[in-house]
Amino acid sequence: MNLHEFSDWLSNTPFSQAIQITSWAIPSIQVVHIICLAALFATALMFSLRIAGRGLANEALHVQAPRFARAILVLTVFLLVSGTLLITAEPGRTITNPSFYAKMIMLAIALAITLWLTSVSRRQLESPRGVHVAAAMFVMLLWVGIIFCGRFIAYVESY
Amino acid sequence: MAVSSSWTEWLQNTPLAVTISEDWFPWVESAHVVFLALVAGTIFLVDTRLLGLTSRNLRFSYLSDRLLPWTWGAFIGATITGTMMFIAGATNYTSNAPFLIKMGLLVLAGINMLYFQFVTFRSVAQWDNGRPIPAARAAGAISLVLWCLVIGFGRWIGFV
Repeated sequence: MNLHEFSDWLSNTPFSQAIQITSWAIPSIQVVHIICLAALFATALMFSLRIAGRGLANEALHVQAPRFARAILVLTVFLLVSGTLLITAEPGRTITNPSFYAKMIMLAIALAITLWLTSVSRRQLESPRGVHVAAAMFVMLLWVGIIFCGRFIAYVESY
Repeated sequence: MAVSSSWTEWLQNTPLAVTISEDWFPWVESAHVVFLALVAGTIFLVDTRLLGLTSRNLRFSYLSDRLLPWTWGAFIGATITGTMMFIAGATNYTSNAPFLIKMGLLVLAGINMLYFQFVTFRSVAQWDNGRPIPAARAAGAISLVLWCLVIGFGRWIGFV
């Protein structure tokens, strides 16, 4: 079964059909997705700023970093669930869309760097180095890229 | 109606509006999502602190001091990108119910914020560290609901 066959099969499942025929379902799921991404984006920014010694810097980094990371991961789970529902509703729009794959690759890298920075923060206590600050800024660029690619799924043609 | 449709038609046919709608729209729209995520996300962090759900160990005034410059900076970006999208399709937006509702909700969110800033926040010294007073919690809850609705109606603009 190739991706196109999988996409056709998925869109014919009763669950996908149920979402498709409910006119308000897709925009509603998208709204939940955007609300969660807003919360994640702001939390990720606070984490990156904290690595750079700015923003909410009232407590030791090794205390704050796991809190930020936990919030980011919980929100990521909400985004994966709502995102999976959107794929299930419109597989032909996403599964074969280059923008969707670019988004997923950037997401994997962003999460990997976030976890790395969290473990560094725990071990090295108050001394993030230049490389950590650069990685923290790079993660923010990735989140911006992820948002752009997410929106561009609507504009880039599926193959 | 003739008058109002003529100014939107004029606006929509300006060279800038045509360029936005033909060449820039996906980029402007994506930038709008980035800015709105920052506006709403930072506001959610403040609102949930008011409700006692997050950042309970932070003084409220410290949290809001650190977050609100980002909120305002992003709000300027969201306003610019939002205005660009508006002029690209002005005739559609002025008769688009979700758009008009969204603008109304933004006004309500602004009133809620002004009331909080100039009335409730004046007693911040008494509740900066602990659980915020009921008026502050109410402001947080109202803001949270209004901003979720702003996002909701904003997304719905493209579905009618």
